[in-house]
Amino acid sequence: MESQQKSLWLDGVRTISPILVGVIPFGLIFGVTASASDVPMLAAWASSFVVFAGASQLAIVEVLGNGGAAAVAILTAVVINARHMMYSADMGRYAVDEPLSVKMSIAYLLTDQAYLVSSHRFPDPVERTGFTSFYLGGALTLWIAWQISTTAGFVLGTAIPASLSLEFAIPLVFLALLVLAVKDKPGIIAAVVGGAVAVTGVGMPYSLGLLIGALAGVAAGITSERWFA
Amino acid sequence: MTAWIVVVIAGLATFGMRFVFIGLFGEIAVPAWLERGLRYIAPSVLAAITLPAIVAPGGALNVASPFLPAAIIGGLAAWRTKSIGVSIVVGLGTLWILRWLF
Repeated sequence: MESQQKSLWLDGVRTISPILVGVIPFGLIFGVTASASDVPMLAAWASSFVVFAGASQLAIVEVLGNGGAAAVAILTAVVINARHMMYSADMGRYAVDEPLSVKMSIAYLLTDQAYLVSSHRFPDPVERTGFTSFYLGGALTLWIAWQISTTAGFVLGTAIPASLSLEFAIPLVFLALLVLAVKDKPGIIAAVVGGAVAVTGVGMPYSLGLLIGALAGVAAGITSERWFA
Repeated sequence: MTAWIVVVIAGLATFGMRFVFIGLFGEIAVPAWLERGLRYIAPSVLAAITLPAIVAPGGALNVASPFLPAAIIGGLAAWRTKSIGVSIVVGLGTLWILRWLF
């Protein structure tokens, strides 16, 4: 039993490893761009283990770096990370026998990648024996890779010339996530409306245009469902 | 100080959203309205962050900047390869080439 759990741990590590090829550059970019922004470096660096969700960490730096309000930065991060509630609902079925401390560890380490890899490997919660070992092996590997790559980005950051415009990597990351997130026509409507409203609201104080755009996009997506039904 | 407050509150909220249904499994289910709204949060908020940064870099509308073509090519790369890393390399590479040419 002991050795079987250990091999499931290692299996989790092995399965998530190819995904790190995409995570490590993302972590480096976060560190480099955050260190170049006006956001206090220690707080931005701490977000890697306090928040531990790359896209929302980038969004916090983007909003605060452009002089946005604290409340807008927090709400934007919450909106970006809201999808974790869906993962949480799914993972709850696998973690149901675990003690609270293990449930909390599973929740803290929950990411897109850890969720996708482990729900692919364990498609049916009825057969959940070994799930926790596999999940924690993969999720913890990702956590370590994120801490090391973002820290390395902060260390490298100041040595990289501003003329390279590495901050442009932030919209590129979000654009890539957007392309991957749009799966159907209401999704396209949500994106078009969200983007257009946010562009219209570019001059608004506290980066409010971003939040209004995001909410308008969600409303448009829900409303447009009936057109394509 | 503001940045620390933002990071701590965003961290607590994110943990709460990750924990809520794991911790309360069997006691509460995901409400239908939430499930419906969550489907459109990702495309909508990502577009709301991306588009202004591309067509209005620095806060003023400017579609003649090299950022727009670089973003389009980076976006196409993301669509073809499904990889964030490739998209960063292609998008930044296009930006540097355009700046070097013009």
